[in-house]
Amino acid sequence: MSWQDSEEPPTKKRRFFSDPVEDLVYPGTTNNAAAAATSQTSAAPPPQQQPPLPARPAQDASSNGPNAAREDPPIAFDLATFESFIGNKVEPEVIDVLRRSCRGDIQKAVNMYFDGTYKKLMKASPAPKPATQQTSQTDEEAEAQKRLLYRHQLDLLEEQGRARLKSATQPTHYTLTAEEEQKEAQRVAENRRALDLMQPYLSRVAKRESIPESRYIGAFGAEGWATRSGTNLLKFGDPVRITREKMQQPRPGRDRNDVIVRFTDAKGMEIGRLAKETANWVSSLIDQGVCKFEGTCFYAPDRLRTNETVYLQLKAYIIKSAFENGNVDLAANRTTTFFESKETTQERDLRLRQISLVKLFKEINLAPTRANEVAKNGRQGLLDAAEADEKKEKANTNTKNGNNPPGSSPPSSDAEEGEELEQGQLDALYRKAQSFDFNTPEAEPADTFAMDLRPYQKQSLHWMLSKEKDQKNEDRGVSMHPLWEEYSWPTKDCDDKDTVQVEGQPCFYVNPYSGEMSLQFPEQEQHCLGGILADEMGLGKTIQMLSLIHTHKSEAANIAAANPIDSVNQLSRLSNKSSNVVAAPKTTLVIAPMSLLAQWQSEAEAASKEGTLKSMVYYGDEKVADLQSMCAVSNIASAPDVIITSYGVVLSEFTQINKKGFRSFHTGLFSLNFFRVILDEGHNIKNRQSKTSKACYELNAEHRWVLTGTPIVNRLEDLFSLIRFLRVEPWNNFSFWRTFITVPFESKDFMRALDVVQTVLEPLVMRRTKDMKTPDGKLLVPLPPKTIEIVDVELSETERSVYEHIFTRAKRTFSNNIEKGTVMKAYTTIFAQILRLRQSCCHPLLVRNQDIVADEEEAGAQADAAAGLSDDMDLQSLIKQFTANTDVEKNANTFGAHVLQQIRDEASNECPVCSEEPMIEQTVTGCWHSACKKCLLDYIKHSMDRHQTPRCFNCREPLSLRDLFEVVRHDDDPNAGSSTPKISLQRLGVNESSSKVVALIKHLRALRKEHPVMKSVVFSQFTSFMSLIEPALTRANMRFLRLDGTMAQKARAAVLEEFRASNRFTILLISLRAGGVGLNLTQAKRVYMMDPWWSFAVEAQAIDRVHRMGQDDEVKVYRFIAKDSVEERMLKVQDRKKFIATSLGMMTDEEKKLARIEDIKELLS
Amino acid sequence: MALPKRIVKETERLMSEPVPGISAVPHEDNLRYFDVEIHGPSGSPYEGEPPDNLRLRAANYMHTPFRGVFKLELFLTDDYPMVPPKIRFLTKIYHPNVDKLGRICLDVLKNNWSPALQIRTILLSIQALLGAPNPDDPLAADVAKDWKEDENRAIATAKEWTSKYAVPESK
Repeated sequence: MSWQDSEEPPTKKRRFFSDPVEDLVYPGTTNNAAAAATSQTSAAPPPQQQPPLPARPAQDASSNGPNAAREDPPIAFDLATFESFIGNKVEPEVIDVLRRSCRGDIQKAVNMYFDGTYKKLMKASPAPKPATQQTSQTDEEAEAQKRLLYRHQLDLLEEQGRARLKSATQPTHYTLTAEEEQKEAQRVAENRRALDLMQPYLSRVAKRESIPESRYIGAFGAEGWATRSGTNLLKFGDPVRITREKMQQPRPGRDRNDVIVRFTDAKGMEIGRLAKETANWVSSLIDQGVCKFEGTCFYAPDRLRTNETVYLQLKAYIIKSAFENGNVDLAANRTTTFFESKETTQERDLRLRQISLVKLFKEINLAPTRANEVAKNGRQGLLDAAEADEKKEKANTNTKNGNNPPGSSPPSSDAEEGEELEQGQLDALYRKAQSFDFNTPEAEPADTFAMDLRPYQKQSLHWMLSKEKDQKNEDRGVSMHPLWEEYSWPTKDCDDKDTVQVEGQPCFYVNPYSGEMSLQFPEQEQHCLGGILADEMGLGKTIQMLSLIHTHKSEAANIAAANPIDSVNQLSRLSNKSSNVVAAPKTTLVIAPMSLLAQWQSEAEAASKEGTLKSMVYYGDEKVADLQSMCAVSNIASAPDVIITSYGVVLSEFTQINKKGFRSFHTGLFSLNFFRVILDEGHNIKNRQSKTSKACYELNAEHRWVLTGTPIVNRLEDLFSLIRFLRVEPWNNFSFWRTFITVPFESKDFMRALDVVQTVLEPLVMRRTKDMKTPDGKLLVPLPPKTIEIVDVELSETERSVYEHIFTRAKRTFSNNIEKGTVMKAYTTIFAQILRLRQSCCHPLLVRNQDIVADEEEAGAQADAAAGLSDDMDLQSLIKQFTANTDVEKNANTFGAHVLQQIRDEASNECPVCSEEPMIEQTVTGCWHSACKKCLLDYIKHSMDRHQTPRCFNCREPLSLRDLFEVVRHDDDPNAGSSTPKISLQRLGVNESSSKVVALIKHLRALRKEHPVMKSVVFSQFTSFMSLIEPALTRANMRFLRLDGTMAQKARAAVLEEFRASNRFTILLISLRAGGVGLNLTQAKRVYMMDPWWSFAVEAQAIDRVHRMGQDDEVKVYRFIAKDSVEERMLKVQDRKKFIATSLGMMTDEEKKLARIEDIKELLS
Repeated sequence: MALPKRIVKETERLMSEPVPGISAVPHEDNLRYFDVEIHGPSGSPYEGEPPDNLRLRAANYMHTPFRGVFKLELFLTDDYPMVPPKIRFLTKIYHPNVDKLGRICLDVLKNNWSPALQIRTILLSIQALLGAPNPDDPLAADVAKDWKEDENRAIATAKEWTSKYAVPESK
């Protein structure tokens, strides 16, 4: 008998699965039902009565008919094969029964043979009958056996309707009344409609393979307790039914839902309940239709008394529908929890489902066959997290309620959200993201690109092209969605019997984070036609981007004409507001910090063969009135290829539009859909709350790119904003992000959070670092060497006293606060004082009232003028003055004139005190005797310390500190012009700046002497300090430029251009903040850091402005540090910070605070 | 502590451009410690006896043909040249400005010290002091008294002491 002969379609997986829902969907069944409805209008038993139970599998199978027809038929029942499986001869009637019940599936037949079910079948149907003919089942016993056999189906039916079940358990045949038939038909139709709606999901499911209604996944032991007494109620091996009755709606005011799970004997009589810890999760799995359970009694006392423990073994089956429902809206719903004032019932269910699933997997000991490395070990952690989550949410709801009306998206208090990443974690993350494969294919840039790319840049070009063209990079392959785990269906059940396998479905997938389940491989999908180029500074991100601009141009007109939908898709977000966004298919929009606009433009031009790229700065006065028509398709010939603008412009246009409320008259940035948008220094939008970030999100472009050397500045949230800008689904949903990344991270599950981040980043980010080496051991960018030298600067006495004053005060404040225990509160005050302390290391003027100082100086200068001594004396004129006097007072002045001439004479320039030759900072006394400045001052101090009048070491004339002059030679100044090097005398201590400035000038002088045209950069955090350095540079006759945050963009560009173009000794003064990022200052070869910053990374970044790609010479860096001062201690803090970050990585808030106090302690020690 | 450049230079110069009648040689194990020899200036009671003509003399002694050679020790403290060197006679000398312990009363070794002075100049000053004893500013009070009371006798005693003590070691 072949299955084609049968009126019923072949059945499969009959033993374990039935499908009470699916059958209603199958058209064939509908037809049957409809036919039945028409032919059987009377209530009389129809000729083809369907016994409810045996018929189910048939219907199940039939429901799969269309699919089954397509797939390979199961191995046909063949006696020989069967016997070879079994290993011995089988009686013909057994074969017959088997053949009938297995409907040709040999696998099933073998199963049935071994587990002995065929015997029951033989009893139930002793005579071979055609399968189509319904067996009449009046026998109570047979019925019970059948029920045993199909018990799980009954369980399922329970859900469908207890009435049906009841009738089914009655000894009479189950009859469909006409009314019922109609209802049935109606339900079928409804279900089909529902199914159609779900088609997007189900189509994937249905196409592959028929899916059994439920599948065994494992068994576990459980305790129960009896609710009744009696003898022989239950014994070993007795099947028990696990039922779940929702007694009532949870009583208001009570938090806990009822979780009672009863077990009954085969007849449905309640025997007991499951122990609570099991019931907790079993109940929610049953309630939510995820699983069903079958029980077997393992042990029960013969005389059972109420409350006695019964040991059961439960087999768990996952219900097919669990794979379907969950997917629809889980992710979205689950995460809103954090912002809703109260968890909705639905969300609560979802959370219960998640926890229960994880518990189930733990109980049945089912481990994922594929998962994220960390997740594998983190099972218990997940449970803990879920529970902690629950507690936290409860705690949070109270606090958050006030601030956030339900449904409002991000709460306003987000400023503090997201813990800072420790350096170690950041390192770990970067390390992961940096697994750059040096075998990545390269791409050649277009002919119009005028520069040579290094191999690694060609590789990233290839990567960028493939991202833009959405080519799958085969090397990376398909990666599993990071949140999912893969599980294999067990092949044996707890009794070591084979379970039914479904072809093509060896696995199922669970998202233990949300409780979602799926049969499909959860592929990580990225539909972002862009990415993040996160190469470290100096690897040429700009150049790489420009090569992309040249190499991948949209076939502008074609795209615009042929694919108008494209732009519509991109604009869906704005469609409600924007009626007139026009495609700009030729144009790439670059958004960069203001200071970099000019650099972008010049690099864009330098990188392009002449006339191949039209670039335009869109900023300030240069803004074009109608950007829209300029870039529109109609104007494609003359539209610019690159428009460079600043974050500020984006923000201001965005604000304008928002003010107007609609953008119909807007013709600026937001009126266009660019071909590509590039955010340079993308960490500018790291705060997703900032208006600039929001403005950037709204820019329209087909391709979106972010350039940044530091994709994460200090929080994981920083990254989110970039992802949001890139519009990477689903991570651009903050709730989603927060649930899967921020929350685990904050609950100290760092590794998992970072793991997820990594998976998010992997396909999006290309990052190389400067210290990366190619497989042959070479650096990516061979940079000339760089040396960093710390220059100790000794504070002068007056500086020291100012410093000590401030120091004592700061220390007092600090220790007072320590005593009172208010250090953390007074943190700001203390830091302000430390700031002053740091400033005083640079120049006391920074902390003193400048007016007073100016007055003092003026008074002194006037006194000198009266005495006939000006501060700056030109030696030539002095000599003239003295020689003029020679005639009158010959003796006195010939000596003076002689000395003055000697001053110019190199040969006589050995210091009489220390024998240095030439003297170091030659200084002359009022009686015109020279020595090194330091020797002279030391000598004077030495005398004063002994209460002696300092006298000239040479002529014993009394010395006055005011009458000391430093000899300034201008022989280091190539522009001095005259053949005899100019010499002038400068009164000591008057025009002199702070020790640091003096040290700087000294270095610069030495440099000018050695390299008369070298350019240098001087960094300071204090612009006021820069203002004090300037006059010193002027006096030293050194050309300098200045760049700070107060300057307008045009001025900055002009300064940078001037510095670049200068061909003489030039110094660029830059404030650390204005010039720390982005700038390219490779023309300079020396860097002077005037003051240390808290973390060396910031200084390093500034240094890298000079020591970066394009630098062709050795770079020397000098860091000026005031000796025995807070600055020296800051260096220690810098060192320690590095150490802590790398060694511990993870610190609690409390520890961080302590560390900060330690910092201050160290500073003030 | 490394030897300051100044001391190095001074020592080098003392060697390469020696002062007639004066020698100063640093100890090998302590370069701040010098063995000094000063020849009594000619015409002074410290000039000593005429030399033995048969004796070969070192070149730097050529200009000082007499035999009054005084040994001194000289030590440069860490503060040198802010403070003067410590110096004293090792050879017994009969001089109003030098006491029994060999300490010298000389203004440039005291208040009139200047860092511009050097070992060389100090030794020259001492040599000059031998040529011009100053009993008005005495250190050895008894010697000064003798000197004032009977200068000739004092000079004779000085000569006697010189021949007795200030004798160059026979090499």
